[in-house]
Amino acid sequence: MAQIKKKSANTHQKVTIDIGDGVAIPTKSDVGLFTAWRIAFFGAIAMFVYLAVFKTDPYWEIIKFVPDGILVTFEVTVASILCALVIGLFTGLGRLSSNKLVNGIASLYVEVIRGIPLLVQLFYIYYALAKFVHVPDIWSAVIAMAVCYGAYMGEVFRAGIQSIPKGQMEAARSLGMSSGQAMFHVILPQAVKTILPPVGNEFVALLKDSSLVSILAVADLLRRGREFASETFTYFETYTVIALVYLMITLFFSKLISLMEERINAGR
Amino acid sequence: MPEDNRRAMVQIKEVSKFFGTLRALDKVSLDVYDGEKVVIIGPSGSGKSTLLRSINRLETVEAGSIVVDGYDIYAKDTNINKVREEVGMVFQSFNVFPHKTVLENITLAQQVVRRRGKEEARTIAIELLKKVGILEKADVYPSKLSGGQQQRVAIARALAMQPKLMLFDEPTSALDPEMIGEVLDVMVKLAREGMTMIVVTHEMGFAREVADRVIFMDEGRIIEEGTPEHFFKNPTHERAKQFLSQIL
Repeated sequence: MAQIKKKSANTHQKVTIDIGDGVAIPTKSDVGLFTAWRIAFFGAIAMFVYLAVFKTDPYWEIIKFVPDGILVTFEVTVASILCALVIGLFTGLGRLSSNKLVNGIASLYVEVIRGIPLLVQLFYIYYALAKFVHVPDIWSAVIAMAVCYGAYMGEVFRAGIQSIPKGQMEAARSLGMSSGQAMFHVILPQAVKTILPPVGNEFVALLKDSSLVSILAVADLLRRGREFASETFTYFETYTVIALVYLMITLFFSKLISLMEERINAGR
Repeated sequence: MPEDNRRAMVQIKEVSKFFGTLRALDKVSLDVYDGEKVVIIGPSGSGKSTLLRSINRLETVEAGSIVVDGYDIYAKDTNINKVREEVGMVFQSFNVFPHKTVLENITLAQQVVRRRGKEEARTIAIELLKKVGILEKADVYPSKLSGGQQQRVAIARALAMQPKLMLFDEPTSALDPEMIGEVLDVMVKLAREGMTMIVVTHEMGFAREVADRVIFMDEGRIIEEGTPEHFFKNPTHERAKQFLSQIL
């Protein structure tokens, strides 16, 4: 899933990590995609405004009903990504550890989690584990998504850390730093440049996948839509609005990521 | 020389290391005394860098023992980080920290490892930048520096720990010819101040001028050892003669 392109230019290797489960990132060099992004983003906004203003019945009612869900979607996404970052950092470090046990556990976690669909993981934590503990709805959602994305994030961290030349670690260690100090002060601050764009991409992917939690009793954007539609039977209209809202949000973030990447590449 | 009175800073005994079946170090023994300057030369692949890197355990050896500043660096109760604090290392590829300014490169380990305050670390760093002649670059990032300047930052960074021993692993090999001099000048100055130094280099002029002892290595062994005069004028070993005739 994480494909890593290595371009080696003299001693400094530049590594870009493309993860294909977020969104296509519109860069200026890819003119076709850049144009497509504009058409999609501004088209979605225009359509949304048109429906809200000229087709008030039932669109205005739908638009009034769903914002609570957007908030929940963001809450779940942000909480999950933060937990996933922490899990990912430790997983990445574990995957690089020379300690066989630590390395084995981290690798096993990555393999197992990546082999199980997120929806099944959600069901497992919410329904299957209910036999032993009852986890509140929103927490089941956050735990399942954090555990799932932590595995992907682990690979992002691993690749980012590995992109830093070996000499950096040797220089830090030869100054008397412990491996932890060297990692914290020397390696990770440099790896952030490589890690940040794919993390942004994972954020968008997670935001989209958060719609799966509507299966549980979590009132996210999609769930609010379902509630509204099933009461009013306006399936077409409701899901059109839901799709437009998701589209606007993800396209907005994909643009943000591409700007961030540009700034990182321009600096230094 | 009255060798018995002098304290050995580094004692290497019967050290061997293999890369697969290749014997990188073959029962190498070497003592380096306090204040001594030892220059190690030899063809590439002779094990000189491996020997140097094993002194602060960047390479681990399979047999033999290495004692640095009184610590057996392979003993289980030896904290290698403590030993490394006292052993400065300069690399062929500089390895300055690109995300830190020149000044921060020199203060980082002082603060993190030596636990010095910010001001104290800064004062020491500025002194060292004057010494290596790049004070005006203090707030610049390393990518804006030439190779020679980066290597001088790396030397200052190592010196900031106030080490008892400095290891140089081909410090000028990655430099353009016109920048070699500025780095060697700093090293000569350091030697004059009495620093204990072990230097792997191809700079024969430096070896002649600075070394108390020249070590010639080939195929993982020390095969010739002596003062620069002895070594450059009448080497006894055939392989050393051949090597010198090729490079001089």
